[in-house]
Amino acid sequence: MLIFLLRRLGAGILLLFVITTITYTLLYFSSDGIAQNILGEFATPEQIALKQAELGLDQPLATRYLDWLGGAVTGDLGRSWFNSEPVVSALLNRLPVSLTIVIGALLISAVLAALLGVAAAIKRGWIDRAVQLLSLAGDALPSFVVAIVLVTSLAIQAKIFPATGFVPFADNPALWIMSIALPITALVFQLVAQAAQQFRSAIIDVRRRDFVRTLRSRGLSEREVVFKHVLRSAAPAALTILSLQFVGLLGGSVIIEQIFALPGVGPLAVLSTTQGDIPVVMGVVVYTVIMVILVNLVVDLVNGWLNPKVRVS
Amino acid sequence: MSEAVVQNPQTPVVVARSGVLKRLAKNPLAILAFLLLLGTIAASFLAPVLATHDPNYADLQMVLAGPSAEHILGTDSLGRDVFSRLLFASQVTLAAAALAAVVAIAIGVPAGITAGYFGGVFDGSANWVTNMLMSLPGIIVLLAVRAATGPSVWISMLVFGVLLAPSFYRLTRTAVKSVRNELYVDAARVSGLSDVRIMSRHIFSVVRAPIIIQTANVAGVAIAIQSGLEFLGLGDPLVPTWGVMLSDAFRNVYLTPLLMLWPALAIAITTVCLAILGNALRDSLEDGQKAPRARKRAASAVPVASPAEVSTDTAVNAVSDHLLDVVDLRIGYPQEGGATTTVVDGVSLHVDRGEVLGIVGESGSGKSQTAFAVLGLLPETAEILGGSVTIGTTRTVTPGSRAVSQARIAALRGKGIAYIPQEPMSNLDPAFTIGHQLVRPMVKVLGISKAAAKARALELLATVGIVNPQRTFEAYPHEISGGMAQRVLIAGAVSCEPDLLIADEPTTALDVTVQAEVLDLLRDLQKRLGMGMIIVTHNFGVVSDICDRVVVMKDGRLVEGGDVRTILRAPQHEYTRQLLDSTLEGKTPMSMLTTGTKA
Amino acid sequence: MKLRSRAALAAMLTAGALVLTGCGAGGGPAGGGDTAGPTGGTLSIGSLVDVTSFDPAASHVGHYMQYYQPVYDTLILREPNGDLSPMLATDWEYDDTQTELTLTLRDDVTFTDGTKFDAAAVKANIDHFKVANGPQASTAASIEGVRVEDADTAIIDLSAPDPGILLYLAASAGFMGSPAALETEGIISTPVGSGPYVLDTAATVTGATYTYTKNPDYWNPDLQKFDKIEVKPMQDVTARVNALVSGQINAALLDAKTAPQGTGAGLNEITSPVDWQGLFFFDRAGAQSEPLGDVRVRQAINYAIDRQTLLDSLLLGNGEVTSQITGKASAGYVEDLDDYYDFDPKKAKSLLADAGYPDGFDLTLPVNSADVIINAAIVQQLADVGINATQVVIPSTDYRNEIFTGKYSLGYYGIFQGDPWVAINHHIGPNAAFNPLKYEDETSAALIARVQAGDDDAAKELTEYITEEAWFAPFYRVNQLYFFDDKITVENQLQQAVPSIYNYAPAQ
Repeated sequence: MLIFLLRRLGAGILLLFVITTITYTLLYFSSDGIAQNILGEFATPEQIALKQAELGLDQPLATRYLDWLGGAVTGDLGRSWFNSEPVVSALLNRLPVSLTIVIGALLISAVLAALLGVAAAIKRGWIDRAVQLLSLAGDALPSFVVAIVLVTSLAIQAKIFPATGFVPFADNPALWIMSIALPITALVFQLVAQAAQQFRSAIIDVRRRDFVRTLRSRGLSEREVVFKHVLRSAAPAALTILSLQFVGLLGGSVIIEQIFALPGVGPLAVLSTTQGDIPVVMGVVVYTVIMVILVNLVVDLVNGWLNPKVRVS
Repeated sequence: MSEAVVQNPQTPVVVARSGVLKRLAKNPLAILAFLLLLGTIAASFLAPVLATHDPNYADLQMVLAGPSAEHILGTDSLGRDVFSRLLFASQVTLAAAALAAVVAIAIGVPAGITAGYFGGVFDGSANWVTNMLMSLPGIIVLLAVRAATGPSVWISMLVFGVLLAPSFYRLTRTAVKSVRNELYVDAARVSGLSDVRIMSRHIFSVVRAPIIIQTANVAGVAIAIQSGLEFLGLGDPLVPTWGVMLSDAFRNVYLTPLLMLWPALAIAITTVCLAILGNALRDSLEDGQKAPRARKRAASAVPVASPAEVSTDTAVNAVSDHLLDVVDLRIGYPQEGGATTTVVDGVSLHVDRGEVLGIVGESGSGKSQTAFAVLGLLPETAEILGGSVTIGTTRTVTPGSRAVSQARIAALRGKGIAYIPQEPMSNLDPAFTIGHQLVRPMVKVLGISKAAAKARALELLATVGIVNPQRTFEAYPHEISGGMAQRVLIAGAVSCEPDLLIADEPTTALDVTVQAEVLDLLRDLQKRLGMGMIIVTHNFGVVSDICDRVVVMKDGRLVEGGDVRTILRAPQHEYTRQLLDSTLEGKTPMSMLTTGTKA
Repeated sequence: MKLRSRAALAAMLTAGALVLTGCGAGGGPAGGGDTAGPTGGTLSIGSLVDVTSFDPAASHVGHYMQYYQPVYDTLILREPNGDLSPMLATDWEYDDTQTELTLTLRDDVTFTDGTKFDAAAVKANIDHFKVANGPQASTAASIEGVRVEDADTAIIDLSAPDPGILLYLAASAGFMGSPAALETEGIISTPVGSGPYVLDTAATVTGATYTYTKNPDYWNPDLQKFDKIEVKPMQDVTARVNALVSGQINAALLDAKTAPQGTGAGLNEITSPVDWQGLFFFDRAGAQSEPLGDVRVRQAINYAIDRQTLLDSLLLGNGEVTSQITGKASAGYVEDLDDYYDFDPKKAKSLLADAGYPDGFDLTLPVNSADVIINAAIVQQLADVGINATQVVIPSTDYRNEIFTGKYSLGYYGIFQGDPWVAINHHIGPNAAFNPLKYEDETSAALIARVQAGDDDAAKELTEYITEEAWFAPFYRVNQLYFFDDKITVENQLQQAVPSIYNYAPAQ
């Protein structure tokens, strides 16, 4: 177990390293007009030169990257070029909102997909067709299109939900739920689709397996056989899909957070890339990769718990 | 297998060509999707002809106007005609998606072929690169690229194509690997033809279908991502695309909410149609994974016999004193196209308490199906064509009912009737400990506490000859041997002291030495608990060892039945004789095995 | 971020009447001494921008003022109507050469860290301001140094007469922070000033909310109208309008498209014209684009633009068409010039023909990616008179830089309507950043020199000259649309993007 974790960690760190190198190199070519942007229109050439030196913009790529890397491994991701806020604290401030949305969407999707998959696999008939069609729509429709339809109809027109803003749980639990309902729904709609399909296929497959028949022969209720035994063996396939989809989820949440003006990492990502605020962009990339690694790890661990045979390998 | 699971359920690799298109044509949804897509693409090509206005002409007097005769879909914030813009925008959006797909294919397919064919270092490193690419969230990468190169829909889609290449790489590699393994053997036989020649000839046909399906998916994703970026305001604002139109509309959402509908619909319809088409293609390639259409009527999971028939029949036949009474049972499987394959054709047998019945036959004789019917564990696709089954005083199959009455049989399972399966390892749930799988049914069926059930389970494990019951109790199925697993299954089957025990080839999968032990065990248990037992087997040795009576089945029919000693000594039916003769035991060495040709 | 100089800069005024439209304009007490009216409670403001650093030398004007004013006092206070009043400086006086400015300072002010405010503090602040490389650093360009005469007297030495210096001392250059804190890194996140409020770092979340609580030792309790002020950055206008309408904030700036939401929700509105928007002709000498060197061509373009339709369709009428770049409250304003150019495509075409371009000509137009809509309209209207403009889209964060390189002959922009001298320094004079090709001629040079000497008539003549010579093609003055709820009263700050903090008060 420990070795497994260590190996994963190692692979993750390597991944982080490669991705940050590539990203940094890409961004290096965009940093020309930054000093002027930061200083504003009254900046004199001398001021601009000073600023560039301050930010290290006159250094070659390798030096700059190694500087950044050196800081990064000690947990210091530098400061924003625009507002001098430490990147780490900027991310930490925004993490709760983004995590709420993303993890919430993941969990709800997993549960919903399981239920829908069971219904489709067992009841068949019209439920099966309905789930398949819905899955198709959910899978295909971009989450932001779903989001703006939801916002326009339920928030702007019907005024049931707030169109923008995030209310922290500590302030008002009821309003908190209202403020995250639409964003999470938009994301869930897309996630559930593929996962439900996977659950359905996997459940159909698992149900055909011998041990299911044997368990039924023992007198266990259909419900227990399905929800306890079949689901457990069917889950890994679906969870693996969910973890694959997580990558897309992170991307979709960027747009969703913009639409709903949620103070998460999304708007930070958009703003920093538009402005060319490299330290912040790098911070966002690091955060993203770490999240992906973590979720994959968690899914693997959960799969291991669900299916002990997998644990050994 | 992991790869196939990780991707969407992969299609089998080689498939008859005409079948795919035919099956596709039968899917009305796919046809609709195809037509819609075709229409959209055609409209984009015909944009100059179909457009009613110049897409860039700004009629400032008519800003944000609603639909009218002059502007079918209204105007945007600059007074430009929405309909015309939508048409021209489709050109860019679709072309860009095509670009992403082409790039993905151009990179992924050759890489997949190389990795699948040569393996080795390239395979390993390509795998690693693939994993890395798949960990990158597209939007973040495109944002970073945009920061470096500026807003250009073509560059974005080019980069995105690179990000999408892994999916094509994977499926190409899988296909190539499978073909290579197959052909390698053939290639060894055919002299003079190089591997490469054979591969290139076959790869195309093998890889074609998955690539088409993936392209459909990829195109949809590309449209989604591209529109997403443009929606954020990060696209090239001079080039009308659906995403740009959506962004403009959202900015005016308080003034003209309707404006959002059109580009949103365009995006939605196109992406959904692409997905439908992709899925339909995949479904028509799959081998009958779906329940045949003729089965609609039996689709419910809990089929129940009609009430009328139930009451009369229990009244009529309540006085059967057999433990199990099967009368004229017929079981079949409906096929696509209406025909039904009959696997059990008018079988009648009975078992009494304390007696052991053997059902003998070759594979395909219908013996297991009969057993399953008694247990009520037939596959969903099976249909009872006729006959009746009565266990004790409960009629579980009535004439005219199309399936076993789940309500009734459920009440019997565990306590009234139990089952020992053939293949021990696959009949234990790998996710739960042995102990759990023993205890839980006992708690439910016998209504005892967990602690009591645990004690009983340990006792049972000892009874079936397991050396260290505690260790086995805590173990997972993959941690014990086949022989132990079979004993566990036996223990589980008798744990609730059933009246009738059905063992399906209980020794077939075991080592010879273990077989004898297991048979002893069964005999012992049967005597002790006074159960009625059915042993399904193809092995007359087992029959002679443990059975009181035996019936012989062939092609779904009962050909002979009776007392074991009688049958063994003097078989009446030709087939029975053949079966007896074909066993190796007691055979004269160096003589022909069979007395005649088998029918 | 759609931050442009027009909204980022305050235009300074030395005199002038105030134009207030809209219903229920708050008649609350102006900053500076009126003690009538209730106090207390919390003020929540939605802001278009996020503060980047609390170093007073890093302060910017316009929207940013609301972050600094709670914690820092300025040497001079600007009233809502533009007048200058004493704040940390009680009196100021020039010498005859106009290069020595003597400030008399308050003696009863202490910074929140206990340091005394005195002439030495003024020197420390201005010295720091000059070298700190902040966005407003150039406003201290003419300051050579500060001399400490005694504890309450500071003398500022100027390299040349600077008509704008008093205004600058009422803005960024005038923010006074504690000298002890100025040189530390902590000043970036924790301001140390003498202002009416202090930043409550515990209740502040960078990028989300900045909370200021009352400074118990403040020397002018009349300016402390609230117990607590929250400034929340909300760059997205949809977020602002929703927060306003739902009561999450008391006040914020909206735009033309969202203003109806504000009025619909029964909010109060202040409108004031701050910027003008239109085309800048950088290449008046015709070096890159020969046609633009001819005044008739530039005038033709002025005639080709249908200002009123643009205003109505793009800004829903929230503004006023104009042909001059000077605002009504500026000393250089000439009333008749407002409608100097009307919409007359025929005249435009005949002028073009006169100049030798009967079939029009080609032009390259840089386009700010945030202003695609207006530029598309411009291209269309130019095309209607035969001028074929090719658009080059530039990301909005780079647009200004690209303009400054001088590679484009013209461009669309929005700029504050300025006080003559400030406008000259910003976009008219030969060294102004917005005059990248450094155009000047004899007439304008002479007029500029006279303005520097303080001649107001010269300012008017300059406006006339610029308008007739079509140095620009102004379209309209744009109204800032500021909305607030019934819990507060707000007074507009003349020529500033948003009201000063001192202009807010609880409602009766």
